[in-house]
Amino acid sequence: MNKTTSFSINKGKPIRCKAAVCRKAGEPFVMEEVQVDPPEAYEVRIKILCTSLCHTDVTFWKIDSGPLARFPRILGHEAVGVVESIGENVDGFKQGDIVLPVFHPQCEECKDCKSSKSNWCSRFADDFLSNTRRYGMASRFKDSSGQDIHNLFYISSFSEYTVVDIAHLVKISPEIPVDKAALLSCGVATGLGAVWKVANVEEGSTVAIFGIGAVGLAVAEAARLRGAARIIGVDLNPDKFEIGKRFGITDFVNSALCKEKTISQVIREMTGGGVDYSFECIGLEPLMEEAFLSTRTGSGKTVILGMTKDILPIRLGSHDILRGRTVCGTLFGGLKPKLDIPIIVDRYLKKELNLDGFITHELGFEEINKAFDLLMEGKSIRCVLWMDR
Amino acid sequence: MENGNSSFGDKKCALKPIRCKAAVSRKAGEALVMEEIMVAPPQPYEVRIRIICTALCHSDVTFWKLQVPPACFPRILGHEAIGVVESVGENVTEVIEGDTVLPTFMADCGDCADCKSHRSNLCSKFPFQVSPWMPRYENSSRFTDLNGNTLFHFLNVSSFSEYTVVDVANVVKIDSSVSPSRACLLSCGVSTGVGAAWETAKVEQGSTVVIFGLGSIGLAVAEGSRLCGASRVIGVDINPDKFQIGQKFGVTEFVNSMTCGNKRVCEVINEMTGGGADYCFECVGSSALVQEAYACCRQGWGKTITLGVDKPGSQICLDSFDVLHHGKTLIGSLFGGLKAKTHIPLLLKRYLSNELELDKFVTHEKKFEEINDAFQLLLEGKCIRCVLWMG
Repeated sequence: MNKTTSFSINKGKPIRCKAAVCRKAGEPFVMEEVQVDPPEAYEVRIKILCTSLCHTDVTFWKIDSGPLARFPRILGHEAVGVVESIGENVDGFKQGDIVLPVFHPQCEECKDCKSSKSNWCSRFADDFLSNTRRYGMASRFKDSSGQDIHNLFYISSFSEYTVVDIAHLVKISPEIPVDKAALLSCGVATGLGAVWKVANVEEGSTVAIFGIGAVGLAVAEAARLRGAARIIGVDLNPDKFEIGKRFGITDFVNSALCKEKTISQVIREMTGGGVDYSFECIGLEPLMEEAFLSTRTGSGKTVILGMTKDILPIRLGSHDILRGRTVCGTLFGGLKPKLDIPIIVDRYLKKELNLDGFITHELGFEEINKAFDLLMEGKSIRCVLWMDR
Repeated sequence: MENGNSSFGDKKCALKPIRCKAAVSRKAGEALVMEEIMVAPPQPYEVRIRIICTALCHSDVTFWKLQVPPACFPRILGHEAIGVVESVGENVTEVIEGDTVLPTFMADCGDCADCKSHRSNLCSKFPFQVSPWMPRYENSSRFTDLNGNTLFHFLNVSSFSEYTVVDVANVVKIDSSVSPSRACLLSCGVSTGVGAAWETAKVEQGSTVVIFGLGSIGLAVAEGSRLCGASRVIGVDINPDKFQIGQKFGVTEFVNSMTCGNKRVCEVINEMTGGGADYCFECVGSSALVQEAYACCRQGWGKTITLGVDKPGSQICLDSFDVLHHGKTLIGSLFGGLKAKTHIPLLLKRYLSNELELDKFVTHEKKFEEINDAFQLLLEGKCIRCVLWMG
């Protein structure tokens, strides 16, 4: 029996499958059997093929109180899947399609989606906490006692099946290896977009990257492809330099060893005045300030990518900003998912983009806790969890 | 002893100090004193200029009033002007005696990596700072009073004097046929505002623009936005008279920030614009206002441009969630992002072809000796630009 035939059996019905449910902040996941309802109008139910762990999952896993905390919840938002069934009013997707669920929405109808000036979707982007896009807090997941399980970013990929709104789904070529494709549903695409679309880094530029995780490495790779002259990586972990070199990082600043100097002072000294572009890929406000101060007077541009957990102020000296500096933040690297992901996939298939090296570990879905440990210990860049292992 | 009336053909002048009139600021906040001073000949890479006319800019007032560094006394203020080259020092080939020039506070050496880069207008060879001295030589002034005491320079220009000495990096040669009282505006305020709209923000046709502060800079931003084809230019000020004035500069709607009731200005603007403006400009010099401007530029592609100079040490605080999630950009701009020697001639061309309107900026014209009256007018908010003509 092939995949498509087996899909037809469940069409219109709930599916019982395995999921890693988070019931308490920071506690190991327990694999549970959950029920995944069929897709409503404008929704698609997908079978996850593999999912990778992104640091934002760790951040949200640890949140125990406040408006961002939800329990029980299925985390995970970087993944690749196959369409199992579609709801009404779904054009462009059919059973068997290989798809990327993407946390950043694109409704394709609002003024912003229709404009090329940004990847903002004014229809949906303001709300990232409901469980569904069009049906509020209704959930497609239920646990074995019938209780609703909350969603993460409209994806929830730590489950064998999930239901995704079409605004969060991108169809891709089946030619790209699926584990590489999954990287493009969040971290790596974010880093590439930040360099190519948001900053538009030019040949010969100098770049500083704060945080050498998957996003930071993607920024480095993208800057290298643009012909950046110097790519300075900043991290607490000295091992990151070796990894970073493979992605184009030319200089390393260990932020733990700067002593009396600030990171920005060190960078300004190294570069005779500061870098053309700095990227904050961690999500810590003091580092965003350092990234800002690392840039060159007159032309420095700072792009903030890191997802923060607390909402603290970023303080920018008016004297420094006045002197020709630019600061902006970006979600998903300024990319419009449905437009730009296929373009990136195409570049990969034409061998213009190398996605090797991001995946440092591969585990079976049930080993999800080990994946969390590896990331928190700084031992992995991307760990892929295969559903069928 | 040579005086200010010597002709340019007289080579003896070129090597000698010139004695002439200047308005010297001797004590913070006190009337400028018209006195005779000595202006030394230009050193290598310097140009001595006979000022034709000079306009009063708010930055002159700021450093006249200020009692702490970088204010210093006695000083020759003034930095928005037009003049004629009287003599040049060695190694100056860009201009010759008789050329009409604008001295500019913003250096454009043409040589350093930043001057050569299209991404920056901030010369790193002569970084922008409020210094008492000539930029190229340490602790060096070309001015002395008749008792031989040093008089400090201001912003590399010091135009409240019949003659001044300026580094060649701060000199822009221009077409001599332009009306001086209009051309001088391009050496500071108008260029800053027009440039901010045109070069820094790159305002597009049909855009919605909000301008916080309708002083000369804000009005110049309005003029620049008008030239760029903005469809709505919303002016924000505490002075209701500014609306009528602003209308001449393309301001289409006005928000009096004192009469918004319970609402914050940003809320009013977000309502008026259905979610925020494409571009917000802060032209006052208050970090709190920059934050307000940021709050009413549009999510997705909104840009906030800060032009105003706040107190040293002031900080703009942005909410990190807002920065990451809402797609807005904050840009700082000095001198409107313009490279003096490249862009001023372009702005002048646009004035000569009747696109850029400069006449409406000049609300008063007086004689140099009436400079203290000009200060009063500006302090009372009764003028936009008051141009002072040298004898």
